[in-house]
Amino acid sequence: MFYIVTAYHAEAKPIIEYFGLKKVVKNSRFQVFAGEEVALVESGPGVVASACATSFLLAEFEATDRDAVLNIGIAGAKNINLKKGDAILCHKIIYHDTKRAFYPDMIARHDMKEGVLETFDFPVIKGNFPEDRIEGDAVDMEGAGFFEAASFFLPPHKVHCIKVIHDYLEGVRVEPSFVSDLIRKNLPLIEGFMSSLESIDYLFSVGLSGKEKEIIDKLAGNLKLTFTMTHQLKNLILFYLSKHERLPGELYDFLNVRVNSKSEGKIYFERIKKLLC
Amino acid sequence: MKGLKSCFVKSFSHIYVEEGIEENPLTKEILKKFPKALKVRIKHYKDVFCRPRQNFFVQESSRKLILAAKKGELLYRGPDICHDFGNENFYYTSPALNCIYSCDYCYLKGMHPSANLVIFVNVEDYFKEVEDILKQKPLYLCISYDTDLLAIEGIIALSAMWIEFARGKEDLKLEIRTKSANYSAISYLVPASNVILAWTLSPTEVIKKYEKNTPPLELRLKNIIRAIGDGWKVRLCFDPVLYFENWETAYENLISRTFSMIPADKVNDASIGVFRIPRDYLKRMRKNFPPSEIIHYPYIETGGVYTYDEEVKGKIIEKLWSLLKKHIPEDKIFIL
Ligand code: SF4
Repeated sequence: MFYIVTAYHAEAKPIIEYFGLKKVVKNSRFQVFAGEEVALVESGPGVVASACATSFLLAEFEATDRDAVLNIGIAGAKNINLKKGDAILCHKIIYHDTKRAFYPDMIARHDMKEGVLETFDFPVIKGNFPEDRIEGDAVDMEGAGFFEAASFFLPPHKVHCIKVIHDYLEGVRVEPSFVSDLIRKNLPLIEGFMSSLESIDYLFSVGLSGKEKEIIDKLAGNLKLTFTMTHQLKNLILFYLSKHERLPGELYDFLNVRVNSKSEGKIYFERIKKLLC
Repeated sequence: MKGLKSCFVKSFSHIYVEEGIEENPLTKEILKKFPKALKVRIKHYKDVFCRPRQNFFVQESSRKLILAAKKGELLYRGPDICHDFGNENFYYTSPALNCIYSCDYCYLKGMHPSANLVIFVNVEDYFKEVEDILKQKPLYLCISYDTDLLAIEGIIALSAMWIEFARGKEDLKLEIRTKSANYSAISYLVPASNVILAWTLSPTEVIKKYEKNTPPLELRLKNIIRAIGDGWKVRLCFDPVLYFENWETAYENLISRTFSMIPADKVNDASIGVFRIPRDYLKRMRKNFPPSEIIHYPYIETGGVYTYDEEVKGKIIEKLWSLLKKHIPEDKIFIL
């Protein structure tokens, strides 16, 4: 599942349309839209709002580390080499207030430009704020809050900020339809990145399948296995699967056994051990 | 669904550089070798290396490079689960963290939170600490434990720098352990009598199956022949020895192939080490890596270390001992 956090509806709108998301009707502080593979929250502006909305979305949908979360929105550019409309995948996010920096894991292939994002608690306007005190290539008001909150839930290669350059910090008025256009034009690039993330997740998922987990739970319950024995059983199953494509048929026979005591269970456990070693 | 290569950014696409080392000549040298890499400034290497919830397994396919200066303690007492080869004052040090190879059984996967490669460029600080210790006592120092130093010699010539540093220091004995076939990177050096080049040798089956990206046995052996021929002291490490189907034949072939190519009388010494790994590292590996014959084998735990049960362990040692002693004097074979 992909989770997306935007600050404004103008940023969310093209994403909602592109992925065909539907509004989730629920009494909550945030507007949420969801489809089969993507869920989006509109946080409102600011670091705290972004952190709260990110935590809300990831907790509400019970995100696991198989999922990924993106903060998509507009930003002002300090770096004049960045063009208006460029999508920037941020490899460093600095919270200006504390100078704390966050580093997404830059593993998944993408066709965007890269840069450093600096998140401020106030709108930065050239002339009102000394330029030499801006460390980032781009400036926003949410990224750092989003990233810190998302890092509680997901691994760093699954948490990313994508910022589309909207202005050069001249303090221009933000026109919603222009914002939507900027985001919309970059969605194919963003989708390409999402596809890389998805492939990595698919190719590198680790651990047991739901069915194998079910077998372990059932055997542990029926055979009254201790915590340690259950853990050993899981390990033995993984050991067996490292050499064979599927579990041995004989293992399924044990699913019908129910023991009356732990000592009886231990006898069966030893037999299973022999079978899997 | 994209293929493997097309969904990953290339390794070393990003180089993280710690504040304060930008002007270090080694930093500059390394950065010059990666002109296309994006440089990212960081305050401390742990800000990147120790991020929570990193996925070592995924990162192995797109490693990043972190350049830093190591502070605090730089030399550590040699752990009990490593050979001291009869030397007193056994220490090890880590001029780099992690490895460009990816052996299934490597404890680094359980020890470090990240697969990224860290290179500490303040090599002079390491040398100073060694010199301080040498003022008090002699030192047996292994410099290639938490990495394969010779394998990254093309990125930074740390092995060569350490060899030159050690040269002539009678109280210092250095071991550089490797699986690489990168001897040519240091072959221009005059051999140093207090430096031992230690090659880890494994059966071809093991190399193919469990030692991803490492050079094949033949290449390692050819490198050893050259090093011995040039006059280096060479140690052969049959460590870790693994237990798998047909392991006996595999190790018989390994030893006979090794000594059909290498003059046994020119080998400095050899070691046999049955696979062993600290409990916590193995636990982490089991959690974070896919099913593996090595990681998920039902080992026995003794004193916080997982290894094969006594029976298997005994069989392995006996077998390797009997094979090795046909070629190398018994007092030159070290067992753990
Ligand atoms: S060569 Fe050594 S350090 Fe490198 S991955 Fe293999 S076991 Fe680990």
